[in-house]
Amino acid sequence: MAEASRTGKALGQPVKRVDGVAKVTGRARYTGDFDVPGVIVGRCLRSPHPSARIVSIDTRQAKALPGVHAVLTGADVPDTLHGRLCRDVPILAKGVVRFVGDRVAAVAADSIDIAETALELIEVEYEPLPAVFTAEEAMRPGAPILHPEKIEVGAGAAGGHHAELLMYPPIPNVISRLRLGHGDAASALAGAHRVFEHSFTVPGVHQGYIEPHACVVAIGADGIIDIWAANKGPHIARAQMAPAIGVPENRLRFNPVYIGGDFGGKGSLMDLVLCYHLALAARRPIKMVMTSFEELTAGNPRHSASITLRTGLDHDAKIQAIDARIVFNGGAYAGFIPGPTLHGYSELAGTYRVPHCAIEVLRVYTNTVPRGHMRSPGAPQVQFAVESHIDMIAHEWGLDPLEFRRRNAIAEGDPTPLGEQRRHMRCRETIDAGARVFGWDKPRPPGVGRGVSIYEHPSGSSGRSTVVLTMGKDGRITILLGAPDQGAGFHTMAAQLVAEHFGLSMTEVDVVLGDTLSTGFESGAGGQRLTMTAGQAIADAAGKMKVMLAALAAERLNCAPSDVRMDADGSFSASGTIIDLKSLMDWAASRGKASLSAKGESATKPPDVTGFVAHFAEVEVDRETGQVRVRRIVTAHDIGTVINPILHQGQIEGGLVQALGQAMCEQIVLKDGAVITALLGDYKLPTIMDIPELETVLLPGGPGPAPFETAAIGEMSNVAVPAAITNAVFDAVGVRLVELPVSPERVLAGMSEKADAA
Amino acid sequence: MRSLKLTVNGTPVVREVADNRLLVDFLREDLKLTGTKESCGVGVCGACTVLLNGNPISACLALAVHADGGQVTTIEGVAEGDRLHPLQEAFLAHGGFQCGICTPGQILAAKALLEANPHPTRAEIQHWMMGNLCRCTGYYKIIESIAAAAGATGT
Repeated sequence: MAEASRTGKALGQPVKRVDGVAKVTGRARYTGDFDVPGVIVGRCLRSPHPSARIVSIDTRQAKALPGVHAVLTGADVPDTLHGRLCRDVPILAKGVVRFVGDRVAAVAADSIDIAETALELIEVEYEPLPAVFTAEEAMRPGAPILHPEKIEVGAGAAGGHHAELLMYPPIPNVISRLRLGHGDAASALAGAHRVFEHSFTVPGVHQGYIEPHACVVAIGADGIIDIWAANKGPHIARAQMAPAIGVPENRLRFNPVYIGGDFGGKGSLMDLVLCYHLALAARRPIKMVMTSFEELTAGNPRHSASITLRTGLDHDAKIQAIDARIVFNGGAYAGFIPGPTLHGYSELAGTYRVPHCAIEVLRVYTNTVPRGHMRSPGAPQVQFAVESHIDMIAHEWGLDPLEFRRRNAIAEGDPTPLGEQRRHMRCRETIDAGARVFGWDKPRPPGVGRGVSIYEHPSGSSGRSTVVLTMGKDGRITILLGAPDQGAGFHTMAAQLVAEHFGLSMTEVDVVLGDTLSTGFESGAGGQRLTMTAGQAIADAAGKMKVMLAALAAERLNCAPSDVRMDADGSFSASGTIIDLKSLMDWAASRGKASLSAKGESATKPPDVTGFVAHFAEVEVDRETGQVRVRRIVTAHDIGTVINPILHQGQIEGGLVQALGQAMCEQIVLKDGAVITALLGDYKLPTIMDIPELETVLLPGGPGPAPFETAAIGEMSNVAVPAAITNAVFDAVGVRLVELPVSPERVLAGMSEKADAA
Repeated sequence: MRSLKLTVNGTPVVREVADNRLLVDFLREDLKLTGTKESCGVGVCGACTVLLNGNPISACLALAVHADGGQVTTIEGVAEGDRLHPLQEAFLAHGGFQCGICTPGQILAAKALLEANPHPTRAEIQHWMMGNLCRCTGYYKIIESIAAAAGATGT
């Protein structure tokens, strides 16, 4: 069958979100909004100690309180440990607690008030134990060991190309050590003209979704366990939960929900296993909604990191080698992320031509809040270090930071620092496009500084998607999806792609989110993959359905299927006769074929093209107070075909302001291991007053790796922003910040240090 | 307990409530109006914004009895049947939300703004909307949506 090119009737159009009306009218139901018959609430008691032995727990008074249906402690639940890769998370503390916020006991009660009162009636005697709060402390010989028992590691803990991965190596508290590289960095550094070394510290930040974690578990009389959970990947969650509770996967039904923001943080089971055990014990459906306090103190925020970089240059200021040591503080449990470590290392210096590269990544247990995934996990930490380091080298060498980057920018034909070959390297073009709009060369007013920072990241391919398309006799198509839209626009994008494949308009496509019993495996959002994986699954299903349609059309038009041509508007023709989709389906229905159905799956091949971004920041520094104001940002993106300009721009703007928060005001502050930025009044998310003037520059025409040459955008906008800002602060007042966030205290201290030295 | 008489989205409501019942719990649990969301619980995020006698308040900080005799508007009362309010239309057309969890609060705060100031400047929009956090959009499209709705209402 011949096929016409695309119509653009749906693809590339700023169509309204398919979930839009539900969201603006309050009809969209999030996990906490579900009212299951007979449901009562679950709450848990958390540890006040960072490390302690539980001597005794007395729950008698709590159990006696009217309205309490169940009280559980570690002794009442199985010893099973769960986790996404490393299975180290207990259902409730078993004898020891490992961070301030660790779950010690849980209550099911008629109301939150009763549950809270019951928690206060539980008496726990603790014997405090030595604790470690930083990764460096935790790795020292003789440090107290958080998990002395052997931790089971799930399948898939592979280091990848040119990599050596050790899970639980013989270093105290180390979860994983990954060493990888390309070439011979040690020799290249030894032979370099000049070598620069700098170290950086990046604190943890919270994903900041406005909907806290929530779940509902109802154990049905039919043996089916119904679940509603603020989890972006219900099929993955089901696969984790089934072994954790010893129930076959096909008895767990994760029901459709709306998700109130994710940003990488809603991929773990969080309270689900505990909620199940409360439901078992209380013989009632249970709803657990974390408070904002619990989210901030005991969620799964971004890993804090310390990073040291050494870079060798030749006589022409060209990079010869980079050596990196990255240490991530993983907190008390490793089970909140799906891999052995965070992927930020894989794009380290991906914007530069680096002939020799050596990277070591350590992920370490400490007695602090367990860390999880957040938008491009590991990359903002690593990229803050790399792009500050590059700026420092340029200044120490005496080169304009933009010129230094252009001189070393990776170009077509260059291998990446890790030795991979990719096509279509538009690094320098992206820098230049942004610099032009920003006016890099224009004179700066006094007190104003300008900084640049760049980043490279291919579209994601780490997951799998499955979709089912059904065409009814009216020619309308329904797409059945297996994961919620966490906000980025997955469902709308899917509808647009389906419409485009069949030359339909958006109004002729219906999106249905199924439960985990009615849908095929879908990884859901994460690692900026859905444009790739869902795009491929949709293309696969559309291709299969077109074959069926061509066979029908051939039958109708009395010709061979190979003679049928499908036009862009979805009609079929052969030797001058045309039949539109609706008439064809109507005819098929009259012959007993009421609908057509096709299942599509994604391919798993990683893309061989990548994407670049360049951010330019202009800041103004108050010399009296050290206060920094970000006046203006220009963000330039090397993109593929845009599916929906509103959603696309939404990813750019949202990621950018999230990064602005990380740069300027957000920080999880720990005191003796406890999170003390425990309310949203203390943990400062950016407000509408904090946003700078923003200009976006798009470089279209890139061959995106996904169907219709589309490409991912979700993790391109946030990663490199903080360094653009700190580089601008240096440009303004000569103060180099090697730690985030940009606080007035740090800037002021830096300025007075400079004044003292002068 | 005390008897509470108020109007919610134009409908008279009479209920017995505990003195310490929060307005957000009264709306979400007693009246099943789950369009109002709760997040921070301390009046910072604005997700629970509702209108009491036309003024935006945080329903997580107000007692239900505080609304006695008053008129409460929640997100469920903003559209007229199937006809969306210009703000709802503008948020849809301009991408003023993504995950949607803060959207009920944003729309109610913006509704109060346009009633107080039908043609706000960009700076006035920012100043008024300061109490409504959004983690998805970076706020640019919220400003755009409100400005567009102000143009569309034509008042």
